[in-house]
Amino acid sequence: MSLNKCLEIFLKYWPSFLLGIKTTLFVSLIGTIIGLLIGLLVGGLRAINVDDNSSKLKKFLKKIFNLISTLYIEIFRGTPMMVQAVFIYYLVYTNIIPWDKVVAAIFVISINTGAYMSEIVRSGIQAVDVGQKEASRALGVSNIDTMLHVILPQAIKNAFPAIGNEFIVNIKDSSVLMIISITELMFQSNSIAGTTYRFSETYFVTACIYLLMTSIASFILHKIEKSLSHTTTSLPQSDTNFSSISLAKEENS
Amino acid sequence: MINCFKMFSMDSRLLEIFLNSFTRILIPGLLVTIPLTIVAFFLAMIIAVVVAIIRFANIKILKDICRFYVWIIRGTPLLVQLFFAYYGLPKLGITWTSPFICAVLVFAFNEGAYASETIRGSLNSVSEGQIEAGYCVGMSYLQIMWRIVLPQALRAAFPSLMNGLIGMVKDTSLASNITVTEMFFVTRTIVTTTYEPLLLYLEVALIYLLFSSILSKVQTVIEKKLNAQVGK
Amino acid sequence: MSIIEIKDVKKNFHNLEVLKGVSFNVEKGEVVSIIGPSGGGKSTLLRCLNCLETYDSGSIKVIGEDLKEIKDMNSFRQKVGMVFQQFNLFANMNVLNNCIFAQTKALKRNKDEAKKIALENLQKVGMEKFINAYPNTLSGGQKQRVAIARAISMNPEILLFDEPTSALDPEMVEEVLNVIRSLVNKGLTMIIVSHEIDFVRDISDKIIFMDDGIVAESGSPKEIFTNPKNERTKVFLRKVIRN
Repeated sequence: MSLNKCLEIFLKYWPSFLLGIKTTLFVSLIGTIIGLLIGLLVGGLRAINVDDNSSKLKKFLKKIFNLISTLYIEIFRGTPMMVQAVFIYYLVYTNIIPWDKVVAAIFVISINTGAYMSEIVRSGIQAVDVGQKEASRALGVSNIDTMLHVILPQAIKNAFPAIGNEFIVNIKDSSVLMIISITELMFQSNSIAGTTYRFSETYFVTACIYLLMTSIASFILHKIEKSLSHTTTSLPQSDTNFSSISLAKEENS
Repeated sequence: MINCFKMFSMDSRLLEIFLNSFTRILIPGLLVTIPLTIVAFFLAMIIAVVVAIIRFANIKILKDICRFYVWIIRGTPLLVQLFFAYYGLPKLGITWTSPFICAVLVFAFNEGAYASETIRGSLNSVSEGQIEAGYCVGMSYLQIMWRIVLPQALRAAFPSLMNGLIGMVKDTSLASNITVTEMFFVTRTIVTTTYEPLLLYLEVALIYLLFSSILSKVQTVIEKKLNAQVGK
Repeated sequence: MSIIEIKDVKKNFHNLEVLKGVSFNVEKGEVVSIIGPSGGGKSTLLRCLNCLETYDSGSIKVIGEDLKEIKDMNSFRQKVGMVFQQFNLFANMNVLNNCIFAQTKALKRNKDEAKKIALENLQKVGMEKFINAYPNTLSGGQKQRVAIARAISMNPEILLFDEPTSALDPEMVEEVLNVIRSLVNKGLTMIIVSHEIDFVRDISDKIIFMDDGIVAESGSPKEIFTNPKNERTKVFLRKVIRN
C-alpha cells in the first residue's frame, strides 16, 4: 500500500465517495434530529413524577407508559442496529409498503437513536435542580409551561455534550446500514474495493474520510458547547464589581 | 397489515423453522459470540489500562502515540476497522489464519481505545492527596498506581466498562461481514435457505436481547455489591 | 375571618411525625415569624401553606379556600408568593425574565405590562442595574433580592419566606433583611421562617415558637422575648441570644 495508490483511488472514484459522504451525513444528521425529538418526548414523559395526590387515571397511564417506553428502550439498546435494520426493512417492505431504502435507513437510525436519547434527556432533566421546578410551581405556572420554559432548556443544555456525541456515533454507526444497501460511505467503499481489488487502499481512504468527518463534527460541537456554557458555568462571585463586568459582557454578546 | 398478522400467526412450518433454527443460532452464540466477546474484552482491558496509565503518567512520545491510537479508533467506524484488517492487511503482508482471530484483535483494539478513556477519567478522579500520602509512607510510583489508584479507578469505571462489554456483544454481529460464523452470520445463512427473514431476524434479535439483558442484570448485582463495600 | 386558618395539622414523613397538631391563625396584613430549633417542622408547615407539601390530617384554609379542596391550584398559588432558602432563580433566564416569566405565563399579563411591573420591583430591591445578568453571575444576596422581586411582581396577597437568609454569607444578610423590612406595612401578609432573632423581633406583629412539631408558644414579640412562659422557649432564646 502506498499513499500514491490511495490518492489515485480517491481521485478516480471521488464521485462515488462523495455520494457516500452525502448519504452518510444526511442519514446521520436527520436520524440524530428525529432521534432527539423522540428522546424529548419519551424522556420528558418518563421524567414526570406522579405524586400521591394525582388521580388514579394519571397513575395508571403513567404506569402503562413507563412499561412501554422501558420495553422500547431496552429492546433497541439491547440488540445490534444491523439486526434492527434488516428486520425493520423487511417487515415494512413485505407487509406494509415497498419503501425507499433511504427512508428505511433514516427510520431505523432515528428509532435507534431515540432509545438512547430518551435516557440522555431523562437524566438531563433529572440533573436540573428540583428547587427551580418548585419555584415555578409556587408562582402558579402550569406544569407544561414549567417543563417547556424552565426545565427542558436547561436539560438540553446539560445534555448537549451527550446529544452531540450521538451525532458522531451515528456518523460511524450508519456504516452498518450498508446491510440494506443504501449508498452510504461504507457501502460505496465496498463497491469500490470490489471493482478495484485494492482493499487496503480503499478502506484506508474510507477510514480517513470517516476520521475527517468525525473530527470536524466534534470540533464544531465543541465550539457550540462552549458558546452555550456561558450561562451554566457557575463562577462563585460575591463582589459587585465582578458582576457588573460580566453584565457588560452579556450586553455585548 | 393483514399480512403482518399472518406472518406471526405460527403455522406449523414456521414453528418448525423457528424451533429448528433456535439451537442452530444459539450454539454459535455460545461457541463463537461469547468466547469472541470474552477474549477480546480481556485483551481490551489490558490495552486500556496500559494506555490509560501511559497517558495519566504523561510519558513522553508514548503518550502521543497513545493519543493518536485513541483518536484513530474512536474516529472511524468499527466496520471499517474490521474490513481494513481482514481484507486490507493481507495485501500488506499480514495474513490471518482465521477470521475469528482477526475479529478478536480488532474488537480488542477498538474497545481498548474507548475503555482507556473511561479508565483515564477515573484515574483523574482519584484524589491527588492519596498519591502524596503513598509517597509519604515510602511507596514507589508503580506500587501506588497498582495498589491504591488503579483499584479505586477501576471500581469507579466499572459501570462504563460494563456498558462497553454489553455494547461489544451486540457489535460482534458486525463480524458476520468478515465471515466469522457467529450468530448473525448463521442467521443470514439460514435465511438464504428458508426465505423467512422476518422470523429469523426476530429470533436472533431476541437472543441478542437475552444476552445483553443477562449482562445488565449481572452489572446491577455487581454494582450493588461494590457500592455496599464502599458504603455508599 | 382570618386570611390563614390552621387547625390541628398533622404530618408524617414515613415514620417520623414532623407536625403533631399545629393550630394558629394569621390576620390580613399581619407579619408573622416562625422561630424555633431546626427540625421543628417550621419549613414543612410553611411549604404546606402553598401546597408544596401535603398534610395528613387537620385543616388549613388560606384566603378562604380549604387546601384539600382546591380546584385550580395554579391560580391559588399566584396569590401566595414564596421566597426560598436556596433562591431557586431560573438559571436559564436573566434577572428581568426571571421576574417576567410567571407574570406572562400564569397571570397572562402582556409583555410590556409585565416588564414595567418587573422593573418597578427590581428597583425596589435595588437590582435594576442587573436586569441582563444571569443568576450564576450574582452573589447570594443579589439572587435573593431578585427572588423577592420575582415574588412580589405577582402581586400576591400572602408572601412566605422560607429561611431567606440561611444560605447567605454573613455580610449579605443585612441587604436582604432590609428589602424584607421595606415590604412591611404595604398591606401584604407575610409569614417568615427565620433564625435572625433581632430581625424578627423588630418587624413581626406576632411570633410563633415551634418545637418538635407543635406550637410551643405564641404571642407578640414583646411577650415572647421579654417574658417567655414556656420552658423550651426560654432554653432556645437563651441559646440564640447568647450567640
